[in-house]
This record gives sequence, C-alpha cells and structure tokens, in this order.
Amino acid sequence: MDNRLYFVLGDLFSIIVIGGFIGLLSVAIVGTDWNMWVAMIVMMVVGMALALPAAFLFGYWFGAMEIMVPAMQAGMWSGMVVGMWHPMSALSLSQGALLGAVVGLVVLNIIWALNVALRGTRHFAGGAL
Amino acid sequence: MTDLVTQDKWDKLAANFDVMAGNGAEKRWLPKKRELFSHMQGKVLFLALGTGLDIVAFPPGQDITAIDISPKMVEQAESRVAAYDGTIDARVMDVHELDFPDGHFDQVFTSCTFCSVPDPIAGLRSLQRVLKPGGELYMFEHTGSRVFPFNMMMKLMSQLTERVGPSMSRQTVANVHEAGYELLEVENLFLDVVKIIKARVPAHH
Repeated sequence: MDNRLYFVLGDLFSIIVIGGFIGLLSVAIVGTDWNMWVAMIVMMVVGMALALPAAFLFGYWFGAMEIMVPAMQAGMWSGMVVGMWHPMSALSLSQGALLGAVVGLVVLNIIWALNVALRGTRHFAGGAL
Repeated sequence: MTDLVTQDKWDKLAANFDVMAGNGAEKRWLPKKRELFSHMQGKVLFLALGTGLDIVAFPPGQDITAIDISPKMVEQAESRVAAYDGTIDARVMDVHELDFPDGHFDQVFTSCTFCSVPDPIAGLRSLQRVLKPGGELYMFEHTGSRVFPFNMMMKLMSQLTERVGPSMSRQTVANVHEAGYELLEVENLFLDVVKIIKARVPAHH
C-alpha cells in the first residue's frame, strides 16, 4: 500500500465507486426469480469485465496495476455477493450499491494486507532462483 | 528483420499513449524510478523509450542510448529527449536485433518493457550480448502474479490486453534467470506484480 494520502484516498475512492457501481448494476440486471447460483456466476463475470474499463478510467489519476488488480477483484466479488443476495432477499438499487461498495472496501483491505505480506526485497546468493 | 506487427501496434498507440498511460502510475512510481535510475553510470542502454515518460526520473548528466521499436514513439519523445539535462541518443531499434557490438554497454535499464517484448527470453539474451561481462541489468516491470486469484485473473486479462498492448502475466524474474543472468535482487513494490529486478551478466560470459 502506498502511504501517500493522495493514493490512499484515490485507491479507496476508486474501489468503493467501482464496487458500488457493480452492486447497483447487479440489482438492475438480476431478477428476484433468478437461481442464486446462476446470478452469482453471471454477475461475477460481468463485474470483472466491467471493472476493467472502470479501472482504466480511475487509473489515469491513481495508477495502473495498483488500481486494476483491486478493481477487478472488487468487481468480481461485488457482482458475486450482490448477484447472489438479490434473488434470496430483494434489494433496492441503493442497497445494492451500498452492499457492493462495502464488498469493494473489504476486498481493498484484504489486498492491502496481502501487499504488506508480499512486498519487500529478496536477495539472491549466486544468482539462483 | 524488425518485428513489423509489434512496431505497427505501438506506432498506432503513440499519438495517444500519454493520455492512455495517464499520470497516475508515473506519479505513483516516480520516487522508486528515481532511486532505480540513480544507479546509472558508464555506458547505459535504456529500453523502451516510448514517449519518454521516464526521462524525468533520469539523473542529470548521463550519456544514455535509448531505443524503441516504434518510430512514432521516438518521434513523440523528441521534446522530452531535448529537455534532458544530459545526452540521450534516441534510436529506433528492435530489442531482438540490437545494432550494437558485443559487450558495448555497462548497464541496461528497462521500464515496463518486458510485458510487451514478443519473445522475452530472446530479448533478454540479446541484451546480454551487448552488455559487458559483469554488466548490470536493472528492470522496473509489472509481471504476472504467483498468488491466487491474481494469477488467474491476470492470465484472463492478458487475453484482452495483449491484443492492444502489454501482457499482464509475464514471469519476468524466471525469464531473466532462464536467459542466463545472475539474479541479484528482486523488490516487490505492489503485491508480487510491480517489481524492481536487479541482475548481472556472469563475469565469465
């Protein structure tokens, strides 16, 4: 995670908006009569696919892979969670957007935690991998 | 012969490349790039020049040879090359067919390059030829991830992105090793995706 405020807020803003948008879209697309597993898979694919162009948009200001990777995960998980939830218990558009945004926020925090675990320097003695 | 398909792909992107790249990634990684490029000394080869976005991170006073496969990209880079406080000899060249003698350079620097080189191992071997024995390779690259689910997702993304630009799933660290370099250091900057790789040509090469 980048500690500079501009990028912390940029990451949060981008991923919450993308998660919220995919959540809203999931409620708009999925019918309450859909099978929840079908809804989950359809919205997982749609969420991930739509998150890519959205990531390009936000990436203009905030970064490339650092936005793209969490955006696609947020899109995928928001689509899955809201898509599955809506057939079980009908959501309004605003509830879908809110749930999607929360999922996006959770995903971003998991990625930040993973980043702390993965970043750092490895030294190689003798050039071996 | 120059890879005309790749050349054409980057020529088409040249006019709008700066808009497409945005300034987010440049701004985010500028301190790290400055730190990496501060190692420049001696005869330096930089690739790929693109529109010259990285020049701002170069230390002043260096004598750098910079190449790119796309003539249109090199054309776009002209003003940044001219503004550099040092010398940049910008040339159109395919990394697979470097027109330099063996052992010509002390160092090679790359910046988000090996996501786009069609045959990365051949490209890295080509760089090794023009590096002196013990010469250093410094890379700022985004690579594929080894961590699930990022690895799966980035392979999927590559199906799309490779058609218009870079791959998202290259295993560049393994490629550097396979090309015959001695790996010195790998620094993960974001997950195991954005990283700095330092390697050198074996002294007995």
